[in-house]
Amino acid sequence: MRKKNLLFFILVLNITAPIFAQQKFFNDTLLGSSDPIVVTANRSERKLSNTAVPTILISKNTINKTGSLRVQDILQEYTGVTVVNSTLGTSLNGYPNPFGQGVQMLGLDPAYTAILLDGEPLVGRNAGILKLGRIATGNIKQIEIVKGPSSSLYGSEAMAGVINILTETPVSEKLSLQLHHASNNTWGSTISYTNKYHKTGIQFFLNRLSSNGYDLNPLLYGKTADSFKDWNGQLKIIQEISNNMQLLVSLRNHDSHQDNNYQILYQNAPAIAKGFTTEAERSAYTQLKWIIAPNTRIYFRTFFDQYTNHSFVNLENTNIRFDETSFNQSVVKPEIQLEKTVPEKSVYVAGIGANLEMINASRYAGKQQLATLYIFTQKEWYLLQKKLTLIAGARLDKRTDFNIHLSPRIAVAYKPNSSWKFTASAGWGFKAPDFRHMYLNFYNAQIGYSLLGNNSLGAELQSLQKQGLLQTGAVITNYRTTIPLLPESSFGWHVGASYHTKKITAQWGVFRNDIKNLIDVYALPFNRSNGLPIYSYKNIGSVYTEGIEMDAKYQINQHWSLSGGYQFLLAKDKQVLAQISNGQLYKRDPITYQTTLVSTQTYFGLANRSMHSANGKFLYENLTTGFDAYFRAIYRGKFGFMDVNGNNIIDDNREMTPGYWLLNLASSKAISKAFRLQIGVEDILNYTNVLQLPNIAGRTFFININYSLQHNSTN
Amino acid sequence: MKIQLTIFVAAGLFFSACNKTDVAPVVVPIVTSTQSLTVNFSSTKSFIFFSFKDSAVVANTDSATTKWDIGLRYTTFILNGNASGPGNAGVSMQDGIFSSLNTAPATGYAVDTSRSNLAIKDGSWYDYNTTTHAFIPKAGKVFFFRTADGAHYVKMQLLSVDYLPFVGQVPLSLVYKFQYSYQPNGTKNF
Repeated sequence: MRKKNLLFFILVLNITAPIFAQQKFFNDTLLGSSDPIVVTANRSERKLSNTAVPTILISKNTINKTGSLRVQDILQEYTGVTVVNSTLGTSLNGYPNPFGQGVQMLGLDPAYTAILLDGEPLVGRNAGILKLGRIATGNIKQIEIVKGPSSSLYGSEAMAGVINILTETPVSEKLSLQLHHASNNTWGSTISYTNKYHKTGIQFFLNRLSSNGYDLNPLLYGKTADSFKDWNGQLKIIQEISNNMQLLVSLRNHDSHQDNNYQILYQNAPAIAKGFTTEAERSAYTQLKWIIAPNTRIYFRTFFDQYTNHSFVNLENTNIRFDETSFNQSVVKPEIQLEKTVPEKSVYVAGIGANLEMINASRYAGKQQLATLYIFTQKEWYLLQKKLTLIAGARLDKRTDFNIHLSPRIAVAYKPNSSWKFTASAGWGFKAPDFRHMYLNFYNAQIGYSLLGNNSLGAELQSLQKQGLLQTGAVITNYRTTIPLLPESSFGWHVGASYHTKKITAQWGVFRNDIKNLIDVYALPFNRSNGLPIYSYKNIGSVYTEGIEMDAKYQINQHWSLSGGYQFLLAKDKQVLAQISNGQLYKRDPITYQTTLVSTQTYFGLANRSMHSANGKFLYENLTTGFDAYFRAIYRGKFGFMDVNGNNIIDDNREMTPGYWLLNLASSKAISKAFRLQIGVEDILNYTNVLQLPNIAGRTFFININYSLQHNSTN
Repeated sequence: MKIQLTIFVAAGLFFSACNKTDVAPVVVPIVTSTQSLTVNFSSTKSFIFFSFKDSAVVANTDSATTKWDIGLRYTTFILNGNASGPGNAGVSMQDGIFSSLNTAPATGYAVDTSRSNLAIKDGSWYDYNTTTHAFIPKAGKVFFFRTADGAHYVKMQLLSVDYLPFVGQVPLSLVYKFQYSYQPNGTKNF
């Protein structure tokens, strides 16, 4: 790897401009800027230091220094970003969690954060969670995280924010190879090649990752995480058609094969079920950028993404099919975006598009389609010699099954001098009921409960009753007619300040989100004939989340830097608070059986949220010797897991998972001009929690051998 | 004779409450008991019948009598009356703290109107935990029963519902632990 690359200042913190960064993130705009460029916050290029909404930037350099091949491991090292398990997945008692993990931001579940790849939203969420393992890290240029309601630009799902994973853009000829080996017989190999021939840029990427998985509970048959093989590939071509027209075509694939092997109960006797899950994702993206006038450009985009998942298990002895599921979701998304800049004065962005989604899954009632038409507009003004930035924008979404939804956002940033920046933003977010809320038809064969979507509930209950699968005497008349679900909607604000000098950067933020019409699972008042419950979805709740976030970084000297972050979070259910203040909520001590009223003080909040979370990082980097070491400590404070005292809320320490630390260390050394060797250990303390955090594998070691050859582009 | 005794006791209570003299504490003849009842974890096996007055399980052969007040299996409660038995049992579920709710409601007792419409709705008294599969009784739910004879009142709260330790994969029994007071004098006061 060329030393020039190593000169890039590492962006451990997100806040303000790195001091030495010289990378040309985009070769056609803002050349020579010393400030990294981000695109997610405003849907157009901005200097990171100028964004008015809270934005975290994770650079390729930082990703490389962690040595991690998993996007979720990288994300969780940032303040206010927590990797959480699907509660449905943890209910499987140490069995492999098919739902995976997602990202919790601002105290909201993973379903409320839009996951974009090169600006386009991926589909194929299972129980609201998009498996981040679908995205390989090897060709990521940068990850941008925007916190706070972003529906004004991105529509549904962007209620808590947006994570935009941007892949590399060809700038010059570069070949990178990586061989990765880690504990649990994990092997990874990556080849990445970029080049630019005259007016054609090309990026090719191929990655294979396999692992034997791990077993945290030897007493239980099967592994906690089963073995898998993943393949990822991408081909991106950028063609300069003329001086004012550029075409981008990007093709991506992800294929995964995961073994399934666990014990089940078959005809009241234990039996072994074996099979595998295959996942496949294909996406195609085209963008035509047309610079109509020096400061006006139009983008024509089409995005297609298809995700399929097929899973089965057979009984080991008889080869009888015990369970089989298939899931096929696709989206076609045409969009036109206009961008008009008045230099030093304003930037205007507007767009119109459509989202055509299709789902066909064994767990859903038939093939279903949804179409959304949307328009968005945003203007950004620069005032007072660019010290003041004002942003106002809004988006309209019309989906086939609900009325037009309006999501406005306003933001302001004030930079009185080069050190300080003050920001304030407020926005309305929404999340449309998704396919699962409407059409899910899921029977858990291992445990025996049912989860039915709102729109298919009536028909499915009638069918269950006819088959004698409902408890005798169940009255289903009230469920025959579908009451349509409403979109969940939120209002959120963030106020922040940041300070930065050559040695110190620091930022503070305060945020609050109020969400209403929250769609949640509820149990029907009758059971299946096996006695286990039937769940469905309805607009139940209103909750709020609020908190404080702080980040600081100190550049000790040329080699050492130190950083830390902390988030304080409260996430509470307003109905629970009302019940408590009305004296209607009781608790019964599971030991003494004393029943008492719940007080507001003892109500901890929504399950799965930590009040305290923190991270600390040490980086040592010596450009002369080509050595670096990067130590990260991540703390997640105690969080509610399950009720034990008879009120279904988290209000007792016995209902919580204790806080834990994850310590990770990676170190790399340049061996020659092209070779770099990296070793690392993750989860140094060997923390595991098989029931509640089955995604944490315990202490693992890895080694990476990187080969990188780069030529400077001649044009 | 019994009625006179009750009046005497009630009067004694009244006076003891008003007179702060050294009157010996009057023994209230209320049956107060904490019971553990082992119940079939099956929606097809037989109900376990219970009599509040006798604090005892009633044999299944007496299912057609008014000897029992409630029947339990799985998470289903039946009351001896209407669709479920020859008696006149009913229930009124109240929210509050057991020790502070001292009067049974005058009216509003639900009965098992049909096999499919039981007085105590399944799921009305517990939260099911998908992780542990536990049926956790909701705290602060107090059951006021009218007994099978239609003339006496009981207040009851569930303390815990646990699986009986079992070998193999399927639990066979649930143990209901509950606390109750039976007022033998026929009043609604506890």
